[in-house]
Amino acid sequence: MFTESWHSVGPTLDECIKCNICTSYCPVSAVTDLFPGPKYVGPQAQRFRENGQPQSPDHSVDYCSGCRVCNEVCPTGVKIAEINARARAQIVAEEGIPLRNRLLGRNETLGKVGSVAPALANFSLHNSFSRVMAEKVMGIAREAPLPHWSTTGTFGDWFKKTQSVRLKSDKKVVYYHGCATMYYEPFVGKAAVAVFEHNGYEVLVPPQNCCGLPLLSNGEFGAAEGYHQNNINKLLVYAQAGLDIVGTSTSCTLTLKEEAPELLDMHSENVHAITMATWDIFEWLRERHGLGELKTDFSEMNMVLPYHAPCQYRAHRIGKPARDILVLIPGIDLRESQARCCGIAGTYGYKKEKYQIAMDVGAELFNFVADQGEAVEMTACDSETCRWQLEHGTDLPSRHPIEILAAAYGLYDLDKRDLVNR
Amino acid sequence: MHKLETEVLVIGGGATGTGVAWDASLRGFKVILVERRDLTHGTSGRYHGLLHSGGRYAVKDPHGAAECIAENQILRVTHAHCIEDTSGFFVVLPEDEGDYPDKFKAGCDAVGIPCTEISVAEALRREPLLNPRISRVFEVPDGSSDSFLAAHATAQAARNAGAQILTYHEVTNLIMTGGESDRRVAGAMIRNVVTGEEMEIHADITVNAAGAWTGKLAAMAGIQVTIMPSKGTMVAMNHRLVNTVVNRCKMPSDGDIIVPSHTVCVIGTTSVNVPEPEPLRIEPWEVNKMLEEGDKMVPGFAQARVLRAWAGVRPLFQDTYTSGKGRDVTRKLALLDHQEREGVGGFLTITGGKWTTFRLMAEATVDDVCRHLGTERPCTTATTPVPGAEQGNYWLGHRLHDIEEQHLQGQLVCECELVTRTMVENAARRNPLLTLDDLRRDVRLGKGPCQGGFCTYRGVGILHEMKKAGSWEVDMSDEAGSTAKWDVAYLQSPGHNLVSDADGHQSNQHPANTADSFNPNLLLRDFLQERWKGVTPILWGRQLKQERLDELIYMSVMNVDHLPDKELASPVTDFYRFDTRPTVEEVADV
Amino acid sequence: MSDLLVIGAGLSGLMAAYTAVKAGLSVNVVAKGLGSMHWSAATIDVLGYSPAQPETAVKRPLEQIPALIKANPQHPYALLTNEHIAQALAAFVALSKDVGVPYGGAANPGDNLLLPSPAGAARPAYLAPKGQLAGDLSRSEPMLIVGFEGLRDFFPELIAENLNKLGYSARAAFLPLKLATNRRDFTNVQLAQGMDSKEQRALLGPALKKLLRPGERIGLPAILGIKAHATVLAELERETGAPVFEIPTLPPSVPGVRLYTALRSYLQNLGVNLTAGMEVIHASAVAPNGTPGSIQWVESATSSRPLKLLADKFLLATGGILGGGFNSEMNGRVWETIFDLPLTVPQNRADWFQVRFISPEGHPVFSGGVTVNKAFQPTAGEQPIYGNLWAAGNLLGHCDTIQERSMEGIAIATGVAAAQALSS
Ligand SMILES: Cc1cc2nc3c(=O)[nH]c(=O)nc-3n(C[C@H](O)[C@H](O)[C@H](O)COP(=O)(O)OP(=O)(O)OC[C@H]3O[C@@H](n4cnc5c(N)ncnc54)[C@H](O)[C@@H]3O)c2cc1C
Ligand code: SF4
Ligand code: SF4
Repeated sequence: MFTESWHSVGPTLDECIKCNICTSYCPVSAVTDLFPGPKYVGPQAQRFRENGQPQSPDHSVDYCSGCRVCNEVCPTGVKIAEINARARAQIVAEEGIPLRNRLLGRNETLGKVGSVAPALANFSLHNSFSRVMAEKVMGIAREAPLPHWSTTGTFGDWFKKTQSVRLKSDKKVVYYHGCATMYYEPFVGKAAVAVFEHNGYEVLVPPQNCCGLPLLSNGEFGAAEGYHQNNINKLLVYAQAGLDIVGTSTSCTLTLKEEAPELLDMHSENVHAITMATWDIFEWLRERHGLGELKTDFSEMNMVLPYHAPCQYRAHRIGKPARDILVLIPGIDLRESQARCCGIAGTYGYKKEKYQIAMDVGAELFNFVADQGEAVEMTACDSETCRWQLEHGTDLPSRHPIEILAAAYGLYDLDKRDLVNR
Repeated sequence: MHKLETEVLVIGGGATGTGVAWDASLRGFKVILVERRDLTHGTSGRYHGLLHSGGRYAVKDPHGAAECIAENQILRVTHAHCIEDTSGFFVVLPEDEGDYPDKFKAGCDAVGIPCTEISVAEALRREPLLNPRISRVFEVPDGSSDSFLAAHATAQAARNAGAQILTYHEVTNLIMTGGESDRRVAGAMIRNVVTGEEMEIHADITVNAAGAWTGKLAAMAGIQVTIMPSKGTMVAMNHRLVNTVVNRCKMPSDGDIIVPSHTVCVIGTTSVNVPEPEPLRIEPWEVNKMLEEGDKMVPGFAQARVLRAWAGVRPLFQDTYTSGKGRDVTRKLALLDHQEREGVGGFLTITGGKWTTFRLMAEATVDDVCRHLGTERPCTTATTPVPGAEQGNYWLGHRLHDIEEQHLQGQLVCECELVTRTMVENAARRNPLLTLDDLRRDVRLGKGPCQGGFCTYRGVGILHEMKKAGSWEVDMSDEAGSTAKWDVAYLQSPGHNLVSDADGHQSNQHPANTADSFNPNLLLRDFLQERWKGVTPILWGRQLKQERLDELIYMSVMNVDHLPDKELASPVTDFYRFDTRPTVEEVADV
Repeated sequence: MSDLLVIGAGLSGLMAAYTAVKAGLSVNVVAKGLGSMHWSAATIDVLGYSPAQPETAVKRPLEQIPALIKANPQHPYALLTNEHIAQALAAFVALSKDVGVPYGGAANPGDNLLLPSPAGAARPAYLAPKGQLAGDLSRSEPMLIVGFEGLRDFFPELIAENLNKLGYSARAAFLPLKLATNRRDFTNVQLAQGMDSKEQRALLGPALKKLLRPGERIGLPAILGIKAHATVLAELERETGAPVFEIPTLPPSVPGVRLYTALRSYLQNLGVNLTAGMEVIHASAVAPNGTPGSIQWVESATSSRPLKLLADKFLLATGGILGGGFNSEMNGRVWETIFDLPLTVPQNRADWFQVRFISPEGHPVFSGGVTVNKAFQPTAGEQPIYGNLWAAGNLLGHCDTIQERSMEGIAIATGVAAAQALSS
């Protein structure tokens, strides 16, 4: 179990002054009665929960999407979303994990399985019959925006295949691609590699596994701990050698940095070394820019680009680095969304009972995009699940900002989603 | 002047007094209990909350230990719903090693306290925040007890057996009869402190169960009973850091027990001789000491948020009182038969003891009552559960569970302690209520982190609305002891304040209802001040920030400092205004 | 990198950011969380009670300020002329119109409004959102205070009874809760969000009209919409034919949420990046001998390594004990959390409080704070401590803004003045 962990997150409940600012901004409790809100399920309910209790007294905490709007607005620093995550883990520990959550929590396994025969897998996952069955049997909402397996091979395949043409340099960076890039969106990885190399960095892609976030957000703390330990084993040498570990998935990098250590109470030196070595890719690029090292040989982009910073940036607490870089590109009319959350919140919106909530939460964002007018051809967002939700809610394609940046460098085709010069 | 007649008059509405009223009425006596404030205004409402297993006294006072374990087992049945089965650890810190732990174990075994040594790893698994440097852990059947609820439930059991319970009725004098050789106490002069009305209660026998005030009562009969009031300070933390009672395994001393109590955990206590039982100051060194000692058992304790501090006073009785340190003077129960001692008939004093042994004290007292009244009637309290006990022990999550099941979040009046509007309304209908403080004791209103910041206004508004709508009538539907309307989750008693006069006519003595004194503005000011009194000794850091928010709400948003009716005061207003701020000398002392 | 980094997103921080960006500076705002606008009635209190006469509400606050300063020469208002204060307030009024949450004052310019509090007291306020103005107790129409059955934050009978005792004509009435919401669980903000929907509020106007007697004005809890507030208000006034006003109640403050969100997105459109959830934990400063030091950067906590926030100038507007700008501990130490600026708070806990919670003198611990010079730079003695650090708002010492009812007035006046000082 995770009992020691009450130590680091739990005490922040003592900071709460009951002001309900968090409740005023929580996007989920704004759209549903089923969720009483951050203060209620977080610092307030926590005083009524105990370690080793005979049963979880409350279950509505499961409706927290983990978007962390509450953490952001709380004036006193209560780690509300984390308190909620732990309460959920406690429910899971008591009641077991539904099959659906087991599946959604195992992104990587799913990715691997589907990649063996992606076309077939796509068909069997996406045809309407199996979606209805999936909803009936497992409670995965039939309309929810599930990803498609890459039919052109995984990112790993591509990276191996192109080893001979990859840039070699003294300046090296470790790329953490995460499951989505590996199995569903290898083009995001390609764009990232292109941007690194354009800036003179040799890219290393050591063996790595799923960061474990989907498990954490479904309350499977035991399994998540194994995942994180594996990643530490695999990545530690690079961190110790002083290399930066840079990721394109805002949720994976968050998990490596803070989420896993904090929720799982893994506080060893090695864990800390990974925390300190990990960067979100735009955070890293912004740092380069601050040091005057980022190339700015952008071509003019002429586009109106609604940009939504994903919720995970809120947890990174690094501002909006992708925005800070994208505004450097000439011709981009960046429209920054103030919407609180796209609704999907990782795997939250896939669940049947939460699909509509997720769509209602996302409405703020979808409306924002619609308000930006006809000229909009695509949206941008750093997180994969948010992009899928954005596409689902707006009917417009959505791109990772790294794709936009690679395109601005003239390295990437935004329509084909592939590198220009292979 | 109003006159009432009874067989047994009980003075004091604490654990002991309500226990005596319960026992005596079960034995068929006609009983009236008078209490000058609300039930548990005295030590019973200001104690540590531990249902002793007896472990604490196993070495020092085996007799007391044996009493504790016996009563512990009885109360778990008769007052099940007033008890949380937390279990208790006696932990051996590095500085506590020596022969005490073995003596402790032997002591427990000798008097029959179930005591098992468990591994440190097991203890840490169950209580992850415990100091990992402990070397041994013993588990005993300690529990956490709710004395507010227990007193109300006991009183209700007494009412159901025919007793009358009069709160806000103070004994101003004893009625003495006879001459030099046959002096008797024949009852007492009583003042309704709300209306100022005087009344006489004539009784065959008067039981003085006034706790630390027993000396004062005895003095009214010209009898000297030397009570040494010994103050104990406790500090409540914002949330539970442990869910098991944690005791140091060493000779009892200051700050060596942490009791999880509902949503908080409480560390206590100190032991300081004081001249008067009330009011009590809490000194900075005491708070400091509690936090330091807490930190030894639970590292980080001293950094956690402190919610509030309070002090209670032990009525330590020593017949040949000379001097001594509080904890060493006997804490055994003292039943004084003034006929035998001073030749004053019709008068018994019962004091000392512990909350855990209140039933036993009552039994001994009423045995004596029987003897004096020349009848023999066996005591049945040990096997008669009070109303509500059928619901079993309470558990921490009960309210959360209940509110979630019924979707009552929007109805929460006190959000911190999860008190709903219905709970407030029911409590107000059933219990005599003069201040919001009385509601606090009934339903835990205002006991949480914000210390009344939000619920003071709401509580006042609701009571005012009830008053206006005329819906604040005493609800008698529980008369036959039915518990249909009170679930353990609500932790409130079904009591009410009915008085029958000589010709059996019942009238409602609900002070707030009968007197025209109900004034929302006074209620508001009194409760804000009451909460303030308990936080000033511990106001820094997070609680200071909270208090500033509370100030913003009540001054800036509500402007309560410019509400009308400023001149009004209630009988407890002055009590709440007692100065609890640390002084320069006290601060320098730390 | 920006010209100015404002730390704190309360009213003073936002007014400062607005003033600076208007003066041509590039501005970023960071804040640990959101601030006191969300707790207060969101009126602009300039001076409600002067310490010399704590029982009687100040009638004309600006005219009272000179006497206040005379009695307390270190009061933050003493750093400003009355013209400065009036101009800052005027700037706020203009801004409030631009952001779509218009504020106004008493019918007789310069007077304090007297607004019914949710307890039924008369609270002095200099400016109030349009939706509260018709509640001014200097108007003569009798009031119909309408609540919703079962609402836990609003008690019309209590309000009416106390207003009557104070000599104002008011009566109470109730409407079924379903006219306000069909949620089971709610806070005031959620109720207000619900009112944004036309269907939800459709029956409210007609129901109010039925309760109304000729000549009355209608007081309601402040839940009349968030985004659609102006429309809701206008609709209700049209449907009932009576003036309608809101009475803000316990936090979270609905008028506060309206003001904050409007200011925030307006500033964002002016290019001010406002990031909440960023706690500044460290400042890097150099202090050459004899001269004021300078702040090189500040650092905020992130999920990993601290983030350096660079700027030419820094403005501290983190509020005091409540805002989170100060922390305190048992031994009586009170400190400013980022720059460890010297504070005027008594450093002995014995000197912190009054015996009574309600004390016109205020609790001394709450009137301590940062001392600044006329340019709003924190000082030790005469010298500014850092050449590029300014401070404004409720962290300023020498007054208790809650006792005086001067919280927003000081926030706005000092926020604007500090920004002007640092922009010039
Ligand atoms: C600091 C401290 C911690 C403790 N912790 C524990 C513990 O954890 N576990 C445990 O078992 N025991 C504990 N005890 C002991 C226990 O609290 C007491 O033994 C018990 O509460 C005493 O109850 P009582 O009814 O005798 O006295 P009280 O509760 O004091 O009742 C006396 C009542 O008499 C009333 N009264 C006084 N004068 C008059 C008058 N003139 N007219 C009418 N009424 C009058 C008072 O208002 C008061 O309500 C603790 C005691 C202290 C001091
Ligand atoms: S994390 Fe998001 S959904 Fe969960 S309580 Fe906080 S604001 Fe609400
Ligand atoms: S915003 Fe923070 S302090 Fe306020 S209620 Fe929520 S958790 Fe508590």
